[in-house]
Amino acid sequence: MFIINFFTILIGKILSGLLHLLGKNAGNLPGLVLCTMRKNALKAFKIDCPIIAVTGTNGKTSVTNFIAELFRQTGANIITNPEGNNLDTGITSLLLNHCTMTGKVRADYLILETDESHVPVVYSKLKLETLVVLNFFRDQLDRNGEVETLILKVNGFCKTFGGNLILNGDDPNVARLGLANPKNKNVKYFSVDKYRYATDTLYEAGEGRFCPQCGTALVYDYYQYSHIGRFACPKCGYGKITPYVKLTDIDLARPSFRAEGEEYVTAGSTIYYMYNLSAVYAAAKLYGIDKKTVHKVFESFEVNNGRMERFEYRGSELTLNLAKNPVGANMTVRMINECEQEKEMLFVLNDNLADGYDVSWIWDINFSVFNNVTRVVTSGRRAYDIAVRIKCSGYDEDRIVVKPDLDEAVKELFSTTGRKFAVANYTAVQPTRAALNRFIKGEGAAK
Amino acid sequence: MTLKILHMYPNMLDLYGDSGNMELLRYRLRKRGHDAEVTAYTMGDGAKTDFEAYDLIYLGGGADFEQQLLADDLLSCRGRIVNAYKSGVFMLMICGGYQLMGQYYKDSNGKKIPGLGLFDYYTVASTNKRERCIGNIVIETELDGEKYKVIGFENHGGMTDNVKTPFGRVLFGNGNRFGSQTEGYTEKNVVATYLHGPLLSKNPKLADHILSRCLSRRQGSEVKLPPLNDKLEEQCRKVMFRRLLEKK
Repeated sequence: MFIINFFTILIGKILSGLLHLLGKNAGNLPGLVLCTMRKNALKAFKIDCPIIAVTGTNGKTSVTNFIAELFRQTGANIITNPEGNNLDTGITSLLLNHCTMTGKVRADYLILETDESHVPVVYSKLKLETLVVLNFFRDQLDRNGEVETLILKVNGFCKTFGGNLILNGDDPNVARLGLANPKNKNVKYFSVDKYRYATDTLYEAGEGRFCPQCGTALVYDYYQYSHIGRFACPKCGYGKITPYVKLTDIDLARPSFRAEGEEYVTAGSTIYYMYNLSAVYAAAKLYGIDKKTVHKVFESFEVNNGRMERFEYRGSELTLNLAKNPVGANMTVRMINECEQEKEMLFVLNDNLADGYDVSWIWDINFSVFNNVTRVVTSGRRAYDIAVRIKCSGYDEDRIVVKPDLDEAVKELFSTTGRKFAVANYTAVQPTRAALNRFIKGEGAAK
Repeated sequence: MTLKILHMYPNMLDLYGDSGNMELLRYRLRKRGHDAEVTAYTMGDGAKTDFEAYDLIYLGGGADFEQQLLADDLLSCRGRIVNAYKSGVFMLMICGGYQLMGQYYKDSNGKKIPGLGLFDYYTVASTNKRERCIGNIVIETELDGEKYKVIGFENHGGMTDNVKTPFGRVLFGNGNRFGSQTEGYTEKNVVATYLHGPLLSKNPKLADHILSRCLSRRQGSEVKLPPLNDKLEEQCRKVMFRRLLEKK
């Protein structure tokens, strides 16, 4: 075994060294080669420190970055994948870059964003201490299959997992993981108290309307967004949880919340942001991170990777947000609507492999609620699809401009002044950031 | 006129944006001064529903789990749905809805769900859950004798056989089964298909065809719909046809 492990690491190191020599970013490739070569490649690493994994449909990257930042602030030496790369191959590549020739990984903590479907793949080989599960929404159905399939995969892993399980207690699809292993005493739920814009009825497409235990329709006191809210099964009582962490007094205007008797001011101001922080808070509590550090990070830390990222061009403010599935997009539309003033929107829609080839999910976005949006520019490989979608929601077709080329789209968007919002799906978000930066720098330099 | 539409199980058969078809029909009606009244049918509504009173009955696609949950409820309405269909109510069905109207559906675990038996076809899913027809699809159909390309996205594990009058001929993609020449099922007042997208979003002529059928039946004489500005839809189709049909 020792010899096999040694050669696995050696080959990986040589590969990644070669790529660096060629001036290439090693990225995913060495891991891809190793995992193809040897199914158990991850077993070649020797890791003594705790591993914390973050999974779920939306918010993985943000929560991973937040938890990493918390530990960083305490002076801990951490290894993390802040840019995603959350499949077994990406994690293998990451560890290759941080291990010795004998495969030893030196760190105080490993904080790993992990794709939902890869949780069992990766953590059957690496010893996981804590798993944080944020939510399960419909996402790239053509690639992932039905949401249920994905939940069952993670649920299968949880059946034999005895470590810390930090679960969203307000998502019926996630809370059920707490029942997977009745022997696990380390199941902890996070929750967010009813906020001002919570609704009595389901507002956007949701999943998990039926009790996973007995099939009865779940009953909600209120919905926060999509199917997230205070639910319970009227027949078997599923959903009656005691939260480990509960955020209360959610104030999106300030923005702030209260937890365990203290008020925390936050940098972001949406309900899903609060849910992310609730998960982060639970992790901070579990690992005994001091409250002063938590206050500081919550108040000032921003992920800035196309997640609520701000840009400015000659006095016009633009907020870019990633939206790769209906729930993310509906949340973004809500945020755009909460900004009362007139604004314009850019929507960039791609259908590359990582996005899923199927763009029908855009029909689950509720555009009919558009508030004071004066113009829409669409771009990306499926620029016309999103234009048709927005038009048929009742939006004036004369106010829609289609520019499949991103540079042209950005130029078009900034041909007027005023508040702007940009929404981009998965593979569109980095090119959109690049196009925005190109335009802002280029135009700034020219004048 | 206000068309009466029965949207069956909207909270269970709502995958892949299929409910968008309702939004699209209403949109295209309103642009012409008509309207649609869409009634949501949920489990247990059978006794109080007069199926024949509707102009169109719609079923979207759903997950296996949901399809099993609703099968009994659907069967309990069988006789009256058959009467509605026979009286000429338009039946529009996508994916799971398409399968449920046939003889039966055998899922990937080998479990047989009886269909309504409105039509002769039957569907069997591969026991390998990974074997699914997934991808963009273009078919050619005939609308009142005129050829029309219909584009959408298919994602189904079920293979449908014994289809006597298919909805279209496959130009790109799979259709009723892997590598099939045919897609869906059609009759004068039936369009049943695997195409999501949603179906009517990129095929405005098909939407209008269905609408004028329903309006004409209601009025008792032919209703011609004035054309709409479908420039964005046409561009959208052009881009996809170029990508899918010309690259070969």
